[in-house]
Amino acid sequence: MTKGPEGQIKKIMNGFAKHKYICSEQLATAVYLATKLEKPILVEGPPGVGKTELANTASLFYKKSLLRLQCYEGLDESKSLYEWRYGKQLLYTQILKEQMQEVLGGAKGLKNSLNRLLKFEDIFFSEEFLESRPLLQALTSEKGSVLLIDEVDKSDEEFEALLLEILSEFQVSIPELGVRKAKVKPLVILTSNNSREIGDALKRRCLHLYIPFPDVKLERKILEARVPEINASLRNQLVSYVQSIRTLDLKKLPAISETIDWAKTLILLNAKELDPQLAKDTLNVLLKYQQDIEIVTKEIPGFISSAAG
Amino acid sequence: MDRVLTDFVKVLRNANVEVSPAETMDAISVIDAIGYANKKLLKRSLAVALPKTLEEKQQFSKCFDAFFSEDFNKETKEKEQPFNDISLNSDLAKHLKEDSQAELMLAIEKAAEKSEIREIKYFTQRSVFTRRILEEMGVGDLENELMQIGAMNSNSLPTETEQQMRNYLNNLREVVSDYVQEQFLLHGDVSGEKLREQIFRSMNMAQIDRSYLHEVHSLVRKMAKKLVNMYSRRKKNYRKGKLNVRKTIQKNWSNQGILFNLRWSYKKIDKPKIIVLCDVSGSVGAYSRFMLMFLFSLTEVISKIRAFVFSSHLGEVTEHFKKGHLEPAIEDALSKYGGGSTDYAQALSDLTSLCMDDIDKKTTVVILGDARNNFGPEKAHLLKGIYERAKQVFWLNPEGKYRWDTGDSVMKTYSAYCTKVFQCGNIDQLERVISTLLRTAI
Repeated sequence: MTKGPEGQIKKIMNGFAKHKYICSEQLATAVYLATKLEKPILVEGPPGVGKTELANTASLFYKKSLLRLQCYEGLDESKSLYEWRYGKQLLYTQILKEQMQEVLGGAKGLKNSLNRLLKFEDIFFSEEFLESRPLLQALTSEKGSVLLIDEVDKSDEEFEALLLEILSEFQVSIPELGVRKAKVKPLVILTSNNSREIGDALKRRCLHLYIPFPDVKLERKILEARVPEINASLRNQLVSYVQSIRTLDLKKLPAISETIDWAKTLILLNAKELDPQLAKDTLNVLLKYQQDIEIVTKEIPGFISSAAG
Repeated sequence: MDRVLTDFVKVLRNANVEVSPAETMDAISVIDAIGYANKKLLKRSLAVALPKTLEEKQQFSKCFDAFFSEDFNKETKEKEQPFNDISLNSDLAKHLKEDSQAELMLAIEKAAEKSEIREIKYFTQRSVFTRRILEEMGVGDLENELMQIGAMNSNSLPTETEQQMRNYLNNLREVVSDYVQEQFLLHGDVSGEKLREQIFRSMNMAQIDRSYLHEVHSLVRKMAKKLVNMYSRRKKNYRKGKLNVRKTIQKNWSNQGILFNLRWSYKKIDKPKIIVLCDVSGSVGAYSRFMLMFLFSLTEVISKIRAFVFSSHLGEVTEHFKKGHLEPAIEDALSKYGGGSTDYAQALSDLTSLCMDDIDKKTTVVILGDARNNFGPEKAHLLKGIYERAKQVFWLNPEGKYRWDTGDSVMKTYSAYCTKVFQCGNIDQLERVISTLLRTAI
């Protein structure tokens, strides 16, 4: 079955897997619908489950360039959309002044000169002096692109409002130049860590994908793709160990990226299997808070024995 | 087929999943793209188009399973043994005889549509609707006929045909009753939730049972969020930031176009800065949970907030509230500071010494309490000092206005030094307070 939506979704899953991104059917469905309906995807989920990586992989898979916009407080249109090249503009006015005689050459009287001046083509606000930033670049790109708007929850509310026009119509209005429409609609991926609730208006315009922590099967597959040199039994042990850590009440639960880091650490240490001492010594790769480490240390022996069994 | 979708959207809305018309349109184009054929795929696809938060996704999953189990997974198996020797004539009898389960289900749905099953609201209405549907399907006629046959039959034992028909009828009753139950869960149960929400809003906070704490919390949280949004950001001319070319050229054209008087635009963000004092003494005991909940919600949504609770001495709970969970945090605050006798003078002087430096012309001070001071000294000059430094001081009193200034309440004295005082004993009043704040505060 290669045709129809099911086939397309399978194709996305396999294609992503080739780029070492193992995804759930839910995720592939979201990507398929985003390309089909030409709608942005808003991706939410705990940190480290591969939200940003999704955009990287999508750009590899669709062979389109990735434009990344990292959001932060205070980000505004001059850094995200476009900016005028002030320096050049100022120089231009200087040149213009010197050339004025030529422009007005021979005109007699104030009225004549003024008419000449008005007829003169003004390029002060024009494409030449426009410095485009990621959002505008994504719209003007000839071949289409993947636009990643990372951690949109870190930006201010005004910036969200700015995004509305771009995301629903794929166009921006530049007051001095008019409306710029996308030549090829980019695939837009927004990520959020939920540090602030995203506005409803923005949510309405997007498909919404929640990436949870992976289940045992998926995590094993991911680990297999990302750290192929690890042997199967250690991999299984490691995954069930991490899975049981996630059941504890911790400040920050270990995500996939931490599991991968940990697997790489164990390989560096030449570990053949997981024993309590090793697990304890390398716990700081997996957990990022001292309180968490203390909680987990107590539980290690139980986890190891159940992971081995 | 769009009828199915709009019905489903209605079910979702009932279950507190907010679906806008725009999202419904999205869902329609999703279905255009993938079709109804693959149920799993349909679920995955609609799950990215309709629900937009994690809670909504869980609700969606439940609703989807309940709703589409009706339409897709009907048992289509044929009846085990068709029987021909029946002399019954009513329509329903024929249906029972000849139809497959699926067709029967269709008939039930038609009848249900006519009896407006979607209007079902309460648990107690189930039997009424079951009866209505059965009547709509013509059970009455069949029963009459069966009665007649029974009467004609000289044998005291019912014939095999009759027995079989009665079995089918009983079976039908069960199926319809299950169907109504299912529909009730889809359409009715959640209306009950809405109803509960309405009651909560107008109920006095002292009387709401603790088991509903979470529902009330989500309501209160919405309010707290509204309050936060009232703070504005503004752009100001400033000596640093981004060069404002337009203004620079405008300002300098009088200097023959030589740009030496530069203009900058610099965005200034007014972050809300709030100090909240919450009375948890014995006299407001019944209200203190509600007020602490509001306080907790505020700490959730505002970053620059300092939260204090007091009976007599002031205790800061900001960190505690920011990190903890609702219930333990509230219990903790109550057990640490609650229940004592009120001393506003002490609390105010503590506030003065603790964070007078923090109070400036951008700060809003909110006091939650009943102003019952146990006939102690009022020391209103302390509040005056705060009032003069702060941008505004609000006092929210959970007691009814008629009780202010009775007994040991000194509301009048303190209200002289408040920008505004409000009565705030239930969620509706809280909402009114917040909308007033929104109008006056900016």
